[in-house]
Amino acid sequence: MAWRNVARNRRRSLLTGGVVVFGFASFALAGGFMTQSLEGLRDGTIRSGTGHIQIADPAAFAPGADGSLEHPLRQAADVEAVLRSDFDVADVLPRLEFTGLLTNGSRSVPFVGVGLDPVPEARTMDHPKTLVEGRWLRDRNERAVILGTGLASSLGLKVGDTATILATTRDGTLNAADATVAGLADLPIKELDDRYLATTLGLASDLLVANGSVTKMVVVLGDTGRTGAALRRIQDNLKVRSIPVAAKGWEELAPFYRQVRLLYGGIFGFMGIVLVVVVLLAAANTMLMAAAERTREIGTLRALGTRAAFIRRLFLAEGIVLALAGCVGGAILALLLRVVLNHSGIILPPPPGATHGMPLHVRFYATAYGAGGVAMLATLALASWIPARRAARMPIIEALAHV
Amino acid sequence: MEAGDSAEAPILEGQGLVRTYRLGSDWVFALRGVDVAIARGEFVVVQGPSGSGKTTLINLLGLLDHPDAGDVRLDGRSVSGMNDDALADARRDRIGFVFQSFSLVPVFTAEENVAYPMALRGVPEAESRSRARALLASVGLEDRAAVRPDLLSGGERQRVAIARAIANGPEVVLADEPTANLDSGTAAGILDLMRDLNTGRRVSFVVATHDPRVAERAGRILTLRDGQFVDRA
Repeated sequence: MAWRNVARNRRRSLLTGGVVVFGFASFALAGGFMTQSLEGLRDGTIRSGTGHIQIADPAAFAPGADGSLEHPLRQAADVEAVLRSDFDVADVLPRLEFTGLLTNGSRSVPFVGVGLDPVPEARTMDHPKTLVEGRWLRDRNERAVILGTGLASSLGLKVGDTATILATTRDGTLNAADATVAGLADLPIKELDDRYLATTLGLASDLLVANGSVTKMVVVLGDTGRTGAALRRIQDNLKVRSIPVAAKGWEELAPFYRQVRLLYGGIFGFMGIVLVVVVLLAAANTMLMAAAERTREIGTLRALGTRAAFIRRLFLAEGIVLALAGCVGGAILALLLRVVLNHSGIILPPPPGATHGMPLHVRFYATAYGAGGVAMLATLALASWIPARRAARMPIIEALAHV
Repeated sequence: MEAGDSAEAPILEGQGLVRTYRLGSDWVFALRGVDVAIARGEFVVVQGPSGSGKTTLINLLGLLDHPDAGDVRLDGRSVSGMNDDALADARRDRIGFVFQSFSLVPVFTAEENVAYPMALRGVPEAESRSRARALLASVGLEDRAAVRPDLLSGGERQRVAIARAIANGPEVVLADEPTANLDSGTAAGILDLMRDLNTGRRVSFVVATHDPRVAERAGRILTLRDGQFVDRA
């Protein structure tokens, strides 16, 4: 009966159904785009060097700490053993962070540097992908550096040139080391690109006279989704062994990701509210008109012994029929548009703080389709409720006398 | 109170029925303390000029409206304490309606219109459909079962409405101007049909009309004027 009533005024039902189709497709596409973007940003954040979990001296995580040998990682071998024994851990990357000056002989520029083990880093992180010139570091003891393009440019350094790194050693004396520029990395955040220097753990350790000390262990997991569980387990295991270090997950270490997620949540939440209001108004208009036009018929149904609750359910069912039909249409539209958009080659502007745009890609995100369906069903049910209640409450003789 | 000549207890009664309506700033009496009793198998015609209270009386007896004073009794039981659902169930099971404008559900076929009251009662679909077809055959519409109301003539629509009215085997059918929208020949056919059902099935009919042809077929005539009975034939 509900279906036939919906089909009774085809043009009006099509119009309302069209609004639902548009609303659902918007939900599905926006959700897919948002998820794709956030997952891309998440994976990019993790693979840009943050990793899934970082272990360091608690003071090294304090605001303003520069991550130098002032706060070395104590019991690094024990920490590494704990990490490598965890079944979720895929790799452990020791790092020695430091700051200093890079000079070409006539000019010096401050840098933020990291000494690392190039082979596992290349395997698990995106460092080599950022190279626009030259090559990645070969082994743990190579006397070479990778520079951000901004830093290299400010000193006029090219691949193959030799630069001198100046840094303060653990005991406070100034030390210098020569290194060959192996490659230039184009980093998405300009401030980082202007200061970035990566070298091997061997060179960094010699320069800082660190004697094998590191400042941080970066943990790479097999599954990002298990970060929370792995972090808790690692923290517990470190605590049990009384190792005085702190462990933090990638999300806590990536305030930018959190800000973007909040921003997206705000934008898409507002958009969702606007969509729901548009669909609600269109559907409420349809249902109110349908109820008004069928006043006499409702009176007849009531006279024949139809209970008021059935009349309410009838209108709700009509709203739900419209919502379901609209959701099916919306899902088909969203899937078609997704294919078109993903093959459009559209490059989106770079996000705040980044230098590169990213290609528009909309993922199939089942939760967004589900949320769209729930939103449309709830909206149509709400839009049906007022006319349904009014129709069911109307005195029968008034309804029968309605012209 | 009168209940024809039948010795049986009345199936439907109205006692001291008063109904007023607001018209602008004034209150208008549609019924002024009317007593009426309908016996099983009676064919009662309520006549009177427009505004005399015929439709109001049908509405009150049909449990579609509530009196301001007085009581309606269905099979000896007062309906004044019934809630909305109980009244709906009573209408569904015990009272049939025939309206002037046919009032068929436009999205249903003739058969579905007749089956609808049975479906409300929980009769299985196959059975209600089968019974609906039999009822349509009894009103001469066996070949119009699958047709929707907008493709039926006025007479056919009213026949479908009558078949629907008796679908649940009610004790009484209330008809408000059932021939008003029909030509003479069709109206005569509808009246004959109602009379046949009245005598054949012992269904009581209360017909509000000012059509003299209806009154000719009445077992009893009640005349209303200004909300009161003025003549009982």
